[in-house]
Amino acid sequence: MEKVIFYLLAIIMVASAIASVSSRRMLRSVVYLLFVLIGAAGLYFLMDYNFLAAIQLTVYAGGIVVLIIFSVLLIQHIEMELEIAKSSRRWFSALLCLMGLSIFLGTIYSHPFAVAETTSTTTVAEIGRALLSFEKGGFILPFEVISILLLAAMIGAITIAKGGKEIKQEVPESLDIDKILQDAKQQAEEKVMELESSTKN
Amino acid sequence: MELNSFLLMRHEILLFSIILLLLIAELFLPRNKKSSMIHLALVFFGIHTAVGFLPLAEGSLFGGMFRSNEMIHFFKGVLNIGVFTLLLQSAQWLEKNMLKQDRGTEFFLLLFASLLGMYFMISAGDFLMFYIGLELSTLPVAALAAFEIMKRESGEAAVKFILSAALASGVSLFGISMLYATNGSIYFEDIMSTLTATNLTLLGFILFFAGLAFKISLVPFHFWTADVYQGAPISIASYLSVISKGAAAFILMILLFTVLKPLMHVWEPLLYILALATMFTGNLFALRQQNMKRFLAYSSIAQAGFILLGLVTGTQLGTATVVYFVTIYIFSNLAAFGVVQAISSQTGKENMKDYEGLYRTNPKLSLVMMLALFSLAGIPPVAGFFGKFFLFTAAASKGYYLLVFLAVVNVTISLYYYLLVIRAMFLRKGENPIPFFKSKIYMKLGLFIAVMGMLALGLYSPLYDYIYELSAAFN
Repeated sequence: MEKVIFYLLAIIMVASAIASVSSRRMLRSVVYLLFVLIGAAGLYFLMDYNFLAAIQLTVYAGGIVVLIIFSVLLIQHIEMELEIAKSSRRWFSALLCLMGLSIFLGTIYSHPFAVAETTSTTTVAEIGRALLSFEKGGFILPFEVISILLLAAMIGAITIAKGGKEIKQEVPESLDIDKILQDAKQQAEEKVMELESSTKN
Repeated sequence: MELNSFLLMRHEILLFSIILLLLIAELFLPRNKKSSMIHLALVFFGIHTAVGFLPLAEGSLFGGMFRSNEMIHFFKGVLNIGVFTLLLQSAQWLEKNMLKQDRGTEFFLLLFASLLGMYFMISAGDFLMFYIGLELSTLPVAALAAFEIMKRESGEAAVKFILSAALASGVSLFGISMLYATNGSIYFEDIMSTLTATNLTLLGFILFFAGLAFKISLVPFHFWTADVYQGAPISIASYLSVISKGAAAFILMILLFTVLKPLMHVWEPLLYILALATMFTGNLFALRQQNMKRFLAYSSIAQAGFILLGLVTGTQLGTATVVYFVTIYIFSNLAAFGVVQAISSQTGKENMKDYEGLYRTNPKLSLVMMLALFSLAGIPPVAGFFGKFFLFTAAASKGYYLLVFLAVVNVTISLYYYLLVIRAMFLRKGENPIPFFKSKIYMKLGLFIAVMGMLALGLYSPLYDYIYELSAAFN
């Protein structure tokens, strides 16, 4: 039964991952990505990592995808379609991807992994304790440093978003000599005409 | 864990307090007094640098996630001086161009956050802290590269940088996950005893190495370097090429010589090939550059190749020479970038052609530039010569004669293009040379520190002995 569910999830994930990168509309790509993320959450449930699966659903499927959709909507029109690459380039990158995939799969499948014997699930209380523990296996330091990272990222984002006033360059605009000459000529001719008409009167 | 054991993290805690203090000061300072932010930040960081040289105990915290010893402590001190010099050099640019746009404090906040990431990366005792340190040191720099946001090139540089950095750290993280899968731990101590050269471990190592190689801009991963350096503000190009590269080279050395030592038979030939490729590519591309920032970018790629030369050896001599060389490189490149910064913030000129006849109008600046380029090229009176000489000795003592020979060929090539700049400054007259100008006191001080560092490292030999003594910690 577990195997059936696993393969079902895997097929959904791989299919929507391929659809996500090959779709020509940004918004559709994002929605396909959502299926990949939900599938990953399903895999975590299958392995009894309940907390991780919940986090995956709330943070990735819930938060991050919404963020991506927002930025897509802010930047692009919904109808806009991405360009299609040249077919030679497409084949080349497909070949490269397949080669990479075969190398990775070959190495991972040939590795003799030690099968873990413990099957007990990690409770939220244990995770919470590990997150704030400073002994070996505790994560208080990374936890704190990540908050500094978030602070820095926020400051950086504000710096970029707040923009800047345009500095006026002192370089003159490109001189269109022909146009200037023509204008001058026209003005001179008009003046001459005026003068002539005034002298006639 | 006792309270006074936090003293081991003195660098980190002090720097983070400075970040918070500046953040609060920015809130309460009136709008028309923003220029005093620069002085405030300089004073704070000056104190931090000075305090950093007080001796520090050895040990590890948080179950081995954070560790420190005298070598790490020494290198943090070097990074501090480097950043301090850089701040001095960029004060004029900040005051002249950035304060008008109501930006200035952010520069310090982001730069210090990035430096904090480097501290954590150097002190990391496990892959998690290493990775977070790597991210913390990279992410703020992307925002800094876009600091002159009204310039198109600046934004472009930032986008290029963040995309390639994200790819590199993603690849690196994938590699780390493989190392974790095969060893069952992320702590360096645990991995050291279980690491064996299975296929999956090697794949993980290579992916992990690629992420760091991106930061040092070794050759297959160097494409971002020249574009980003050219587009970003000079201070940030200088930061990327000096501080960021120095710290990454240092952490690469620590990892290779301790955790990844069991894989030495794998990374030795890898580094051998990468060293050659990096040196040749960097040098050959540097030959035809006209923009000074691009020129220094390719020159710094070539220098990274020399750093690998010392890493190949894997001995105590290798450690000492690499640290010595990186320290010299930091000061020399700071001086070179400082002169480019001084000229650019005064006149806005960045091309090699504009430097023609500089000696006649600004003799002191061109003298500093000459010393810096001599040091980068490795000409005797300055420190760079000893740095390269010791590197070659270290490599030759392990029997890499061919590698040393090819490296010497590269030194000759590099001599040619470094002398091109010197010829432009001293021998060419130039149609309209840069007129004489006086730099501000901060800039003068910044250049002075860089030049003193170069001279002291070359002429005062106890410094090298000190580094050699410290490097026993990693073997």
